[in-house]
Amino acid sequence: MRLRLLPLAAFTLLGLTACRDSKITTYRVPKEKTPGLPAAAAAPASAPGATMANTAVTTAEGPGLSWSAPAHWTAKPASAMRKGSYAITDDSGGTADLSITAFPGDVGGDLANVNRWRGQLQLPPLAATELASATAHLDVNGLHLTTVDFTGGPAATPQRVLGAIIPVGNATWFFKLTGPAALVAREQAAFATFLQTIRAPGTTP
Amino acid sequence: MNDLLRQFRDFFVSLKLTVVLIALSIVLIFAATLDQVNLGIWAVQQKYFHSLFVLWRIGDIPVPIFPGGYLIGGFLLVNLIIAQVYRFKFTAKKSGIWLTHIGLILLLIGELLTGLWQEEFALRLDEGETKNFSESYRSNELAIIETTDPKFDEVVAIPEKFVAQGEPIQQAKLPFRVVPKIYYPNATLAARDANTPNAAPTPATTGIGLQASATPLPLTYKQNERNAPAAYIELAGPEGPIGTWLVSADPRFPPQSFAYAGRTWKIAFRFERSYKPYSLTLLKFSHDRYAGTEIPKNFSSRIRLNSPDGRDDREVLIYMNNPLRYAGLTFYQAGFENDDKTTILQVVRNPSWQLPYISCALMTLGLIVQFGIHLVAFIARRRPAPSVVA
Repeated sequence: MRLRLLPLAAFTLLGLTACRDSKITTYRVPKEKTPGLPAAAAAPASAPGATMANTAVTTAEGPGLSWSAPAHWTAKPASAMRKGSYAITDDSGGTADLSITAFPGDVGGDLANVNRWRGQLQLPPLAATELASATAHLDVNGLHLTTVDFTGGPAATPQRVLGAIIPVGNATWFFKLTGPAALVAREQAAFATFLQTIRAPGTTP
Repeated sequence: MNDLLRQFRDFFVSLKLTVVLIALSIVLIFAATLDQVNLGIWAVQQKYFHSLFVLWRIGDIPVPIFPGGYLIGGFLLVNLIIAQVYRFKFTAKKSGIWLTHIGLILLLIGELLTGLWQEEFALRLDEGETKNFSESYRSNELAIIETTDPKFDEVVAIPEKFVAQGEPIQQAKLPFRVVPKIYYPNATLAARDANTPNAAPTPATTGIGLQASATPLPLTYKQNERNAPAAYIELAGPEGPIGTWLVSADPRFPPQSFAYAGRTWKIAFRFERSYKPYSLTLLKFSHDRYAGTEIPKNFSSRIRLNSPDGRDDREVLIYMNNPLRYAGLTFYQAGFENDDKTTILQVVRNPSWQLPYISCALMTLGLIVQFGIHLVAFIARRRPAPSVVA
């Protein structure tokens, strides 16, 4: 007889616990700002370098690099994070973007940086064992470059990234050309020549 | 008093019930502590304490085998309240006991409300990054995002349990049906390329799933790991299937874009998000060490808090034991990664966080009053009678 009351009390508690059910929700949010380069190393908005678009700059961690860009690349004003920035256009209105950035440390290591770029192209991440076969190496003017070449993105509008990662002192520099696959293919030779012009301070051409 | 009410009172007022409930609690806590090795602390809390019954799965059928924390705690609460009303008469002499019991009742209610209402999220910020959302530690969601508008994204967030159920999902804001084809509660991803010619055919017909495949893994309950569910999701319009995507809650797995009906979309399996009407920017994370050693001294995050209505635009410093309390949420310094460039804040919503403090204060006061009353009476009794001088 007494036990008749147990279910009553149990159901009261059940009612209390039922109010946390998950549902399908819809909402509107402002567009996320996707950082141009390694998100893990985004610098504060007040970081120096905002107006140093086309010249080599000295970061807090060490000396800067210098380079010579091909004449048909249009220099752009750099953002707070970019040491250099260029636009490359073709006749059909397609635009590729070349960004030059530098961050202290190794920014998570080559694998993390390469996978971040692959993520931007909607490519699956590489395992550590696959990194060696997906990258190439180049020695230029005393600098060691790790270069990558990835194509991905939507099948209708494939995107391609040509990139170079250069450790300089305690910092890491990133040179990244990204844009429509056809346009980047056209610029591949120019990019290779461009990489040969990168110099550490104190070295002469 | 009618018969039913009297039975109710007699059952709940009984001191025997208190003893039985306390004994059951001891068994429950003991079993849960042992099971923590298998399940980890969070799953144990859900299974043993935040439940009416501890369930045992026989095949697919959950069978209740022991009363859970909510049932025992709920009965203790009712037992305490009814005993208080019927057993103890309120007199000045017993005011201390009353205060102590009210404190205990509040403590039980506080624990119940915390279990029901508390939410925990993580906010991961790189230096310089601004976010207006935090992410769940455990829950995931399938997000289908319309990105056509240049300023806003329209998000349809489908909790993981709907993906697990595998039923087609029709949502008014989506011009297509979402059909979960295959779901793995935890999975690892591998590349499908020329090196894996013998890989099984992929159910994906578009996106990353053409180049990657998901393999199921056993669920992990370790506190420092989390499950990364993966699923093959088919989207189907009125004219037929649009495509099947592989999605994964692995943070390295990016959202995938596609176009449909003249609009652009993204599909992603991600940690469940909780958006805020304000944003936080990490200005600087500091990891101080004692000079000459690697022993941590202090972790702190300098944050800029900004609300779009302009009411708040200020810098705050969050460090150990000094959380930011804002808009009903508490932001604790919880961790860091990425070579001290990323901070992890624990974001907790607990509307009843003050109850344990109030109840402890009441219980302390009650005990002081009760002992005080006894002490005063004792001293009064021992006071010697004035001696009569002859």
